[in-house]
Amino acid sequence: MVKLDFIPHDQKTTQHMLEVIGLKSIEDLFQDIPKDLMLKRLNLRPGIPESDLLNELKDISKKSKIYNNAFLGAGCYYHYIPSLVDFIISRSEFYTSYTPYQAEASQGFLQAIYEYQTIITQLTKMDVANASMYDGSTALAEAALMATNITRKNKILMIEGIHPEYIEVVKTYCWGQNIEYDIIQLDSLDSKLDEEYAAVIIQSPNFFGEIEDLENIVNSVNKKYPKCLIIQVMTDPTCLGILTPPGELNIDIFVAEGQSFGISPSFGGPGLGILATKKEYLRKIPGRLVGKTKELNGEKEGFILTLQAREQHIRREKASSNICTNQALCSLAALVFLLCMGRTGLKNLASQNLQKANYTKKRLSKIPSYKILNSKPTYNEFLVVCPNLDLLIKYCEESNLLPPLKISKYIAHMDNIALVCITEMNSRKSIDLFLQAAKMSSSEGK
Amino acid sequence: MKPDTQLIFSKKSNISSNNYIPQLDIEEVEDIDTILPKKFQRADLNLPDIPEVDIVRHYVKLSKKNYGVDTGIYPLGSCTMKYNPKINELISRLPYFSELHPLQESNKGALKLIFELSNCLSEITGMEGFTLQPAAGAHGELTGLLIMKKYFEHNKIVKKKIIVPDSAHGTNPASAKMAGFSIIELRSNESGEVPLDQLEFAMQEKDVAGIMLTNPNTLGVFDRNINEITKIVHDNGGLCYYDGANLNPMLGICRPKDMGFDIVHLNLHKTFSTPHGGGGPGSGPVGVVEKLIPYLPEPCLITDDKGINCREKSPTSIGKVRVFWGNFGVLVKAYAYILSLGAEGLKRVGQFAVLNANYLRTKLQEKYHLPYDRICQHEFVLSDKNLPNGITTEDIAKRILDYGAYAPTIYFPLIVNGAMMFEPTETESKDSLDAYIDILIRIYEEATNNPELLKNAPHNTPVGRLDAVTAARNPILHD
Amino acid sequence: MDYKFPKELKYTVTHEWVLLEDDIAIVGITDFAQHQLGDIVYVEMPDIGMVFERESNAGEIESVKAVGEIIMPLSGEIIETNSKVIDNPELVNSSPFEEGWIMKIKISHKDEVENLITVEEYIKVVESEEL
Repeated sequence: MVKLDFIPHDQKTTQHMLEVIGLKSIEDLFQDIPKDLMLKRLNLRPGIPESDLLNELKDISKKSKIYNNAFLGAGCYYHYIPSLVDFIISRSEFYTSYTPYQAEASQGFLQAIYEYQTIITQLTKMDVANASMYDGSTALAEAALMATNITRKNKILMIEGIHPEYIEVVKTYCWGQNIEYDIIQLDSLDSKLDEEYAAVIIQSPNFFGEIEDLENIVNSVNKKYPKCLIIQVMTDPTCLGILTPPGELNIDIFVAEGQSFGISPSFGGPGLGILATKKEYLRKIPGRLVGKTKELNGEKEGFILTLQAREQHIRREKASSNICTNQALCSLAALVFLLCMGRTGLKNLASQNLQKANYTKKRLSKIPSYKILNSKPTYNEFLVVCPNLDLLIKYCEESNLLPPLKISKYIAHMDNIALVCITEMNSRKSIDLFLQAAKMSSSEGK
Repeated sequence: MKPDTQLIFSKKSNISSNNYIPQLDIEEVEDIDTILPKKFQRADLNLPDIPEVDIVRHYVKLSKKNYGVDTGIYPLGSCTMKYNPKINELISRLPYFSELHPLQESNKGALKLIFELSNCLSEITGMEGFTLQPAAGAHGELTGLLIMKKYFEHNKIVKKKIIVPDSAHGTNPASAKMAGFSIIELRSNESGEVPLDQLEFAMQEKDVAGIMLTNPNTLGVFDRNINEITKIVHDNGGLCYYDGANLNPMLGICRPKDMGFDIVHLNLHKTFSTPHGGGGPGSGPVGVVEKLIPYLPEPCLITDDKGINCREKSPTSIGKVRVFWGNFGVLVKAYAYILSLGAEGLKRVGQFAVLNANYLRTKLQEKYHLPYDRICQHEFVLSDKNLPNGITTEDIAKRILDYGAYAPTIYFPLIVNGAMMFEPTETESKDSLDAYIDILIRIYEEATNNPELLKNAPHNTPVGRLDAVTAARNPILHD
Repeated sequence: MDYKFPKELKYTVTHEWVLLEDDIAIVGITDFAQHQLGDIVYVEMPDIGMVFERESNAGEIESVKAVGEIIMPLSGEIIETNSKVIDNPELVNSSPFEEGWIMKIKISHKDEVENLITVEEYIKVVESEEL
């Protein structure tokens, strides 16, 4: 009988194997399991062939909508993904492999991860980057834990403007280890900071799109509390094509969501947690690290997982983190993306984001009753008060545009305020349609 | 440096191309300096500009220096390196899945998939509520332990410790620590199982939250006392956590809920065929019994007359363990796998995973030492006891690479000296297993008659054995 | 296996050795311990001036495959750490009792010296661990 699975055994082979093992039937293989635990059957549908499967999943997928252009960011971004990215991560020697414990048979991926670590240090000008974390939010949480480990202090200070969901994740991780946290406005930093804090966490560009004056902030923290670490988090690191890198700002730990680097939105995951830090914190970094080394009995250079003694498979309950499987294939995607962009491409990408967002901001603010709320410079997101946000959203949908975020989803009493995102993928035509929708919802409805 | 390991950066050129991003189509372009103060702009950007053809050749070349399941047998114990169906790759790339924004309102397709997958996983494990948020097994462990922590906190019971057997995977104690627990380690008995008297004794302490177990365990054996184990823990007010890394042999055979577990995490990249990706992305869903549902992370999906929606925020939820919904791209593949196999296909996975492992075990124990000589489930562990001429487990592993195959997991679990853990999975044919057995037997003979071959192995790989010590003493982590 | 067990030293069950000089104790890890750890890659020293209680964790020794804790054999203040070992951690492997010493403690409770074990008792500890 034809079976719908990937098991390459026929009846005869199965019988022969059972004989070799010394058993009569397949059921005998499970003789150690108490009889009362043996399942009669699973209450699931029978299997289906590939063609039917594809049709069924296509049908399910079409219950969602996809748009021509997006005006929504808030932690997940539409940037162009060069075709080369999928081509390379689809090579099955890469994606069907696992953690390169046997380094000699995994030089391909190990070298790729080493190159990823290198390109991240080039981009951020930090001393060292790890092989990846799950995503930006967990990378931030682990950075906070790392800071408490380094400083032996038990409190962290978060500055408002961090993505609300990131704050939730940090809170959960802190609660797990009885670490205290406070969330304050940037203005109160000078008055609230004291020597009890392990680190200050600041997002820039922040959730509202604003670029913070990190140089000043870092200086003022370092002057008074040199032992306090500064963690910068970023949700769209394409801005590094144009903005000052954290390594030049004396940031201690840098974390970011790398989804903008060649990873499709995919309803929010998988993503890529980027983590980079100063060399003096090297041995406290969570996650995998690939190092360059030589053969024991030869001259060839090679790559190997290193500093594994920090990791869970050796250190167990003393590990700096519990992370094992991370996001390796996504870091390969990010590497290829950055290589495709190159110096010129990334700079162009970032300036297009800046230019188009600025273009939209200016024209939007000319429409009656629309007011841009940001007082600081922004990158590709900005905050705007709308006369009737619900109506704007409705008109966007009708023009097949993915509407901006209603801030009230996260912050109560901020009705009619939208977080708009413009990237290089927003065509001029779509921006015009958006402005049109804005005009219409302005004149029609207060 | 030999040309072979040239990094991609050596290919950089002075040609900068603009092949990818859209042409700028707005007519009014302002000077950057008026939009962005100069002090916020970076002075230089040190990324290389590399021609596309050179990028392609470089990574095609690297891929040929890498071994995956599509290359050959990959019997890494505890990793379940089974065949990754290609149709699932195609499905996850469908635009109506890959183009979705996690915050978009019109997301019914995605929510339906998440919901249906949760239901399937509930049926497979017996659990009553699931979160698909965790990004990996270890992340799922942390989530499950935080749920345990919240449950006790909410019920105002002080619990500080978790019991794990000495055979546990390293992520178990590491996750326990991240959840604020300390560990009590139990010494497995001569059958490789949890000693009931030690367990009883340990549970007498009032502050033990429960136990973290995998069954079958990392020795590949099914703990025959599992019913008693979970009963002892429950009778003493504790909860039982199931590490689902070893679920493959139990598919359609037996369920964690029926064994008495309250919390389960699964590894979709192991049991449910999503690719390992060289080290991720994975997905580590967590399932719980009904009384623990209020503690699941937000958002949590429920179904009502309006369809599938998020439940009202639960005041006792542990919060969020990551942004948005989870590794959706991975969830799609797992769901497709479950649908394509169906009830019977999943059961055959369990059956043949165990058949293959026992076949391999029977043949290999003719030469190698098998410390726990009993029927195994999906994996088994050999020790270095019989190895002649001072040959180590590492030597054997490296010599396997010379034959173009992959080594088992080595030096884990810690309770077996020189452990070699083999998990062939159900997708290997008898021919593939026989070829692997041949290699292992041949290597044993070499160990006896020509040990130098092993001590200096591997010889046929792109590099020979590497210096791990210098790499750790003076780490070079980037160029 | 043949390990070195210098007779003039005192030991702990957690594999540290102690050389007593009045109220100063020089501390390191034993030949058996360095062998168990394998090639040592890094030693995390406590800061000078820090005060620890007996049996608490003062630092860590990292090898390629394992991490060992440096347990305080006696309560006291850290007055010196061996900078040579920071630059050359392999000294702990090659010369665990001499050049590979780790730290010097100013002992705060002299009576704790009674808790240290003799070389004969330590040899028994190693023999039972080897089984």
